[in-house]
Amino acid sequence: MKDDKTLSFMKSLFMGEIQQEILFPYPQQDEDEKENLKMILQAWNEFAENSVDPVEIDKIAQIPDEVMDGMKEIGMFGLPISDEYEGAGVSKTSYCRVFEEICRYDTGIAVMFGAHASIGTNGIVLFGTEKQKAKYLPKLASGEYVAAFALTEPGAGSDAAGIKTKAVLNKNKTAFILNGEKIWITNGGVAQIATVFAKTTVQQNGEEKEKITAFIVELDSEGVSRGKKEHKLGIRGSNTASLNFDNVVVPVENMLGPIGKGFLVAMETLNTGRLGLAAGCIGGMKELLRQAMDHAKSREQFQKTLDRFQLIKQKIAKIASETYALESIVYLTTGLHDKGGIDVSLESAICKIYGSEVVWDASDEVVQIAGGLGYSADYPYERYLRDARIHRIFEGTNEILRMFVALSGIQGPGEYLKNVGKALRNPIKGFGLLTGFAAGKVKDTIARDELKNVCEELKEEAEQFNALVARLAAITESVLRKYGKKIIVEQYTLNRIANIAIELLGMAAVISRVDTRLKEGKSIEKDLPLAKLFCNEAASRARREARYVDRNHDKERSEIAEFLSETGKYPMDMLMEK
Amino acid sequence: MKIAILLKQVPVKDATLELNGDGTWIDEDDVQFEINDSDHYGLAEALNIAKDNDGEVTVVTMGPDRVKESIKQALAKGAHQAIHINDEDVKSSDPLTRAKIIAEAVKGENFDLILSGLQSDDYGYGQTGVLVAEMLGMPHATLVVETEINGDKIKVKRELEGGWFQNIELPLPAVLSIQSGLTDIPYATIKGIMMAKKKPVADVEADDLGVELEGGAFKLEKIYTPVKSKETAVLKGDADSVVPQIIDKLKNAAKVL
Ligand SMILES: Cc1cc2nc3c(=O)[nH]c(=O)nc-3n(C[C@H](O)[C@H](O)[C@H](O)COP(=O)(O)OP(=O)(O)OC[C@H]3O[C@@H](n4cnc5c(N)ncnc54)[C@H](O)[C@@H]3O)c2cc1C
Repeated sequence: MKDDKTLSFMKSLFMGEIQQEILFPYPQQDEDEKENLKMILQAWNEFAENSVDPVEIDKIAQIPDEVMDGMKEIGMFGLPISDEYEGAGVSKTSYCRVFEEICRYDTGIAVMFGAHASIGTNGIVLFGTEKQKAKYLPKLASGEYVAAFALTEPGAGSDAAGIKTKAVLNKNKTAFILNGEKIWITNGGVAQIATVFAKTTVQQNGEEKEKITAFIVELDSEGVSRGKKEHKLGIRGSNTASLNFDNVVVPVENMLGPIGKGFLVAMETLNTGRLGLAAGCIGGMKELLRQAMDHAKSREQFQKTLDRFQLIKQKIAKIASETYALESIVYLTTGLHDKGGIDVSLESAICKIYGSEVVWDASDEVVQIAGGLGYSADYPYERYLRDARIHRIFEGTNEILRMFVALSGIQGPGEYLKNVGKALRNPIKGFGLLTGFAAGKVKDTIARDELKNVCEELKEEAEQFNALVARLAAITESVLRKYGKKIIVEQYTLNRIANIAIELLGMAAVISRVDTRLKEGKSIEKDLPLAKLFCNEAASRARREARYVDRNHDKERSEIAEFLSETGKYPMDMLMEK
Repeated sequence: MKIAILLKQVPVKDATLELNGDGTWIDEDDVQFEINDSDHYGLAEALNIAKDNDGEVTVVTMGPDRVKESIKQALAKGAHQAIHINDEDVKSSDPLTRAKIIAEAVKGENFDLILSGLQSDDYGYGQTGVLVAEMLGMPHATLVVETEINGDKIKVKRELEGGWFQNIELPLPAVLSIQSGLTDIPYATIKGIMMAKKKPVADVEADDLGVELEGGAFKLEKIYTPVKSKETAVLKGDADSVVPQIIDKLKNAAKVL
């Protein structure tokens, strides 16, 4: 039984079910869109090649006005806004491909742009009323307004639901009075409007409850003050600053989405925003590879250029195959998003986790390939390292997102188990439950779902994928039986489950990409080694995670951490002890 | 005011070029193409003149189907419409024949001004604009660095040799070839890109224009990659034995002594 809500490739994997009709064929852009995209990239490249100087941007910790103005002139700021509101209205796929290219030049610009276009504007696109859209989107599209997204507070980072900023409806119900502080806000010092999240009092079943509501706040309003620019490790061109709200009057028309539904607005906005971030990581990877090859092909040691040594090849092949996998999952996800009707929240989170980690690893390895030069501030390598680091922290830390992936993934089977439980308690009533809802799933799980008709070339990889999906479903079921609702605090286990899911999405996307190319008569000669290397490494990582679910040293882990929590420092001094 | 820009599509600057089978041109199969560099400046000037004089810019491009992409790009940069002269079957590369075809194709349009770039990056003849002017019986000026419309005349500044300039005035309609590097090349805007699809492109078949395609003023017999003539020789030994060798090389091989 598949209703629309369960139409999620990743979520069904947790039930042992492989939704092939979602996975195959790998999504494609139509020719018209492709041609437009090519021209947009060309326009950006022509501009960026002449105008973007990442060294200078890093040094002055600011994006020069000429770059901002140029981007606005080209129309970049309106990329995801529909033409109805004077934007370009490109698909998520095209948007992400352009984002990739922005990040290839400068990560700071990409972060500024993402805060504006991915998360600053997206709330209004998704939840805005006609009036709000007409008022704000054209200005956001032209760049007359730069946008920000203001959720984080001193006391509420990962625990975004714990925000303290408060919006109280005035007496004649014309406006909310906003008080509170937001920190770490990208574009905080330069934006004209921000989507701000605040607690509001909502009536629910006759009771008063504190619930989050989203607002569009014009930052030149009285009572808004901006903190000074944060001094950062990387992405130094992007402006990060706090925003303080002191009795700011926000008209009721500026409430974004329904009252009390602000958390949903925030999560939905971030869901799609994360895809941009992940796409940026693809751009970073491609640029890192280019830099690495430039160096490895020219630097000679032992009468050979570095690229001739196997240990350098190993690094390069790893980065390239991870770039291939990242591309595959990002554009699978954007393709599914563009198709519509498919829940890609898990896929988006995985793209963000995977992208931010492989680009970090890659920047580290490229510093290594560059040797001493890698450590020099006169060369670009260390900047890539500094710039890449942020992706694991913002738009949901990778830890939080792993919990999100695992917990949302096991939700489906959890529901099903609840039904099985009920069914077992009351066999007669339960019969209906089982046939109506879950019987099919039980059968599926037993029969083991499989990728069908995958090309010969990737048969072994597909088999490993099938086995791992069955494994994921079995683990999910067994941990649910073991921990029940308390699974929520079992982070060691949830982390492993998330890690398996991450590898599985990578394998699925790569297999679909290669298979689709082949079936369209395109050459897969260059794809195959990349695909095979990634799939086999991914499968072995996933198998290891699966093994550790039951056999691990979590007890020791907890003991050590508890001990350090008590002592507050490393508890031994080997040589000085008696 | 009706302005035409003759815009050509050429292989991208860093393309790896291979000769075709009979050695008369490059093998175009795996080559990417782009708008000829000089023509960007012609287009920029056309757009500027159009802006100041309530004009319309028509891109005129000859070539096979692939040139549609460059046409669309020029439209995205702000040109209003285009004429695509399809010469899929025309193998002639001689500038005279090409100019005849273009002249025939634009004759009926009554352009007030026809602009071109300085030269093309593939053949580099630099003749097309001038030839078109002659065939249409219009005055022309080359190496133009500044223009100013003055009623039914146009004042132009031409760049001459040795830092000299010439200011002249031509009656309209006229043909100008624009010097490269002096105006800012317009960027395609994303909105322009999305709108380009909706702008009119008239298709003209080169075969239908009644121009004799065979023969031409001259024929390309053969092209070839330059033969490497320089050699590096490493002379070994101590100073006493190397010095006479160097003198010998400089005298007899390099012939500079
Ligand atoms: C450069 C930059 C730009 C930013 N831009 C914006 C912006 O535009 N808008 C905005 O609203 N915010 C923005 N942020 C804030 C960012 O989203 C937060 O920093 C992030 O969500 C983490 O919150 P925190 O800093 O409070 O860390 P904490 O929440 O204190 O987390 C610290 C560490 O603890 C871990 N942790 C926390 N809770 C748990 C848990 N339950 N289980 C396991 N581990 C846990 C985290 O993963 C992390 O490793 C930005 C931050 C930076 C650095």
